Amino acid sequence: MMKMFSLKSHLCIIPACILLALALSGCGGESSDAVVLRVCNWEEYIDEGGWDEDEVIELDDGTCIAGTDSLIEDFEEWYHETYGVRVKVEYSTFGTNEELYNQLTIGDVYDIVCPSEYMIMKMMREGMLEPYSESFKDTENEENYYTRGLSPYIRSVFDDLSIDGEQLSEYAAGYMWGTLGIVYNPEEVTQEEAKHWDILLNKDHFRRITIKDSVRDAYFAAAAINFYDEITDPAFMGAADYHERLSEILNRTDPETVKAVEDILIKAKENVYSFETDSGKADMVTGKVIANEQWSGDAVYTLDQAEEDDVMLCYSAPEEGTNLWFDGWVMLKAGIEEDEAKKHAAEAFVNYLSRPESAVRNMYYIGYTSVIAGGGSDIIFDYLNWNYAADDEDEAVEYNDIGYFFEADNEESNEKYTVLTTKDQLNRQLYAQYPPASVVDRSVVMACFDDESNERINRSWTNVRCFDLNKLFGRK
Amino acid sequence: MKKSFLDRKQLAIPYFIYLVLFVVMPLLVVLYYGFTDGEGHLSCYNFTAFFTNGKTMGTLVYSLIIAVLVTVICLILAYPVAYILAKGQYARKHSFLMVFVLPMWINFTLRITALKEILTLLEGNLAYHPFMNTVICMVYDFLPFMIMPLFNALTKLDRSMIEAGHDLGATFWQVLIKVILPLSVPGIISGVTMVFLPAMTNYVVLDMVYNSTYIMGSLIGSYFNSYDWNNGSIISAILLMLIGFFTIFTDKVISNKEAAA
Repeated sequence: MMKMFSLKSHLCIIPACILLALALSGCGGESSDAVVLRVCNWEEYIDEGGWDEDEVIELDDGTCIAGTDSLIEDFEEWYHETYGVRVKVEYSTFGTNEELYNQLTIGDVYDIVCPSEYMIMKMMREGMLEPYSESFKDTENEENYYTRGLSPYIRSVFDDLSIDGEQLSEYAAGYMWGTLGIVYNPEEVTQEEAKHWDILLNKDHFRRITIKDSVRDAYFAAAAINFYDEITDPAFMGAADYHERLSEILNRTDPETVKAVEDILIKAKENVYSFETDSGKADMVTGKVIANEQWSGDAVYTLDQAEEDDVMLCYSAPEEGTNLWFDGWVMLKAGIEEDEAKKHAAEAFVNYLSRPESAVRNMYYIGYTSVIAGGGSDIIFDYLNWNYAADDEDEAVEYNDIGYFFEADNEESNEKYTVLTTKDQLNRQLYAQYPPASVVDRSVVMACFDDESNERINRSWTNVRCFDLNKLFGRK
Repeated sequence: MKKSFLDRKQLAIPYFIYLVLFVVMPLLVVLYYGFTDGEGHLSCYNFTAFFTNGKTMGTLVYSLIIAVLVTVICLILAYPVAYILAKGQYARKHSFLMVFVLPMWINFTLRITALKEILTLLEGNLAYHPFMNTVICMVYDFLPFMIMPLFNALTKLDRSMIEAGHDLGATFWQVLIKVILPLSVPGIISGVTMVFLPAMTNYVVLDMVYNSTYIMGSLIGSYFNSYDWNNGSIISAILLMLIGFFTIFTDKVISNKEAAA
């Protein structure tokens, strides 16, 4: 009996040896000690290098920033120099949060991905995420650019968010943030009209405004229209807990609200040019549409593009309230698999992207706003000056309500962080990229709804988009 | 002589593997998701829900209206062209055919982008007529797929049949309706199948011409976007069944015709 047993175990050893040999040979060659980091990010959401030779950001303190190689290549090189270990970044991209989530559930494996806030919360709730290590949060360590450089404002937003008793900041490191607003052509739309979400229902602009083809963005705008009277009431706006209450109202998903929002969206569908996913930016520049719902980062891009065609566009974050969104880096349990070397590389990747120089390169390249404020370095603010300061001092106006982003609870911060800019920047790129405190006060994060609410909202969205049979038979 | 190790049957192996891996298996997955609920239990709920929900039925009706219109217009436009190309007495017949089929070589999003510019010149604001523009763009997009099979069917048509019709005193229209049309039915049917289903599901065209109403394709996409694979799959399965019924029906028509002949 014993003999049989040992014979069997011998037989097992042979395939085991083959497997081992295969595994070893697989790791052999050049990549013998390389850590592979599988990154999945939004399309066109990182500096890919290849700037023209004369494209150099020269800041006041003499710092020069340029993107010769992509940030990914620079990171690989830097990691090798600093830690003596090679990292191979396998970079891929996704188009929507839902697409990323579907990929992950089908079985695609990544180590670190960059979804939006609500998707981060969903992934947290489903236990997909690997928490950041304690050493990542150590502010003493010089290399911890993220923890040291994160804007105090964004930090406070993160601290307010938790899922099932766990802080969002344990699992996510911010990347880009912004508001949801309206890009408009000032020649066709008045500033006053663009200050309110109900521009989507404005009959004067019949079939000339686009709205985002995304449930959440459309829902938010329609909810703001629905609760207009309530949330613009001076008594409400003056209340001490204004922000909490605004957040509660604009995040309502009870059946009654969903129905009211649905009715507004059906009306909007009849009035707007279209629900668009990507065509809105180009259509604004060509003048096919005169206003469109847009995220602030895309707004900056649209305004830049339009400028090249000598079209002057503006951005507005509506007065009733706006959606504060952010995208952040999260590590996936399924990818990291408790591999310390991999986790170290992933955290180093976030820190590398959070260096003020990297943040500036990204902002210059993609137009979005980094969550990094600098943390002791003035590079970010200097970049603002480099980008937006007025050439002619006589025409300059002060843009001075953005101190909140750079320093917490400091009376003088607004004074220190004042950009002398041109008058038109007060409602253009600068305003879109770094919204004043007054806009931020009335911006709320849109929560990750529970399954029941999600189903209700999705069903209502289908109702908005599907053909109404009653129309065919002329019934109302 | 030794038989070659590759006989005819074995030549089919590569395609058979392809068929199983990329056609049969995905179909089974679609059917599995379509007829189970979120927990994996067998259920016909999604199936019945589709037909009892006014909104999904509305989408089906809307897609059908578009698909029927597009198919009929394509047929009316393509038939004379295919006939002239196939039966005309001139040299370089195939070069002419090429001209009509050439657009197929260019990616359709590109072609529709170009067409949009022309339509904008004609109409001004495209968003005023989303339905009409959808039909125009789809006809433009799918026309070559109608011309090709019609051309093939009409080339095969025996000229002596037409001559016989004329000799027996039929007018041009009588020949067309009693001889040519019946003989080209197989071509018509394959043309219709190639146009009809894509016209029901190609939502990219709708997106491009700013038509924000869902058709079947966009409805499927929206379910998958909200992680509802079961409902997304059942709609795909229902479309498949529709096309299946259509094919069986048309096969019957053809075989009846052949039997009658």
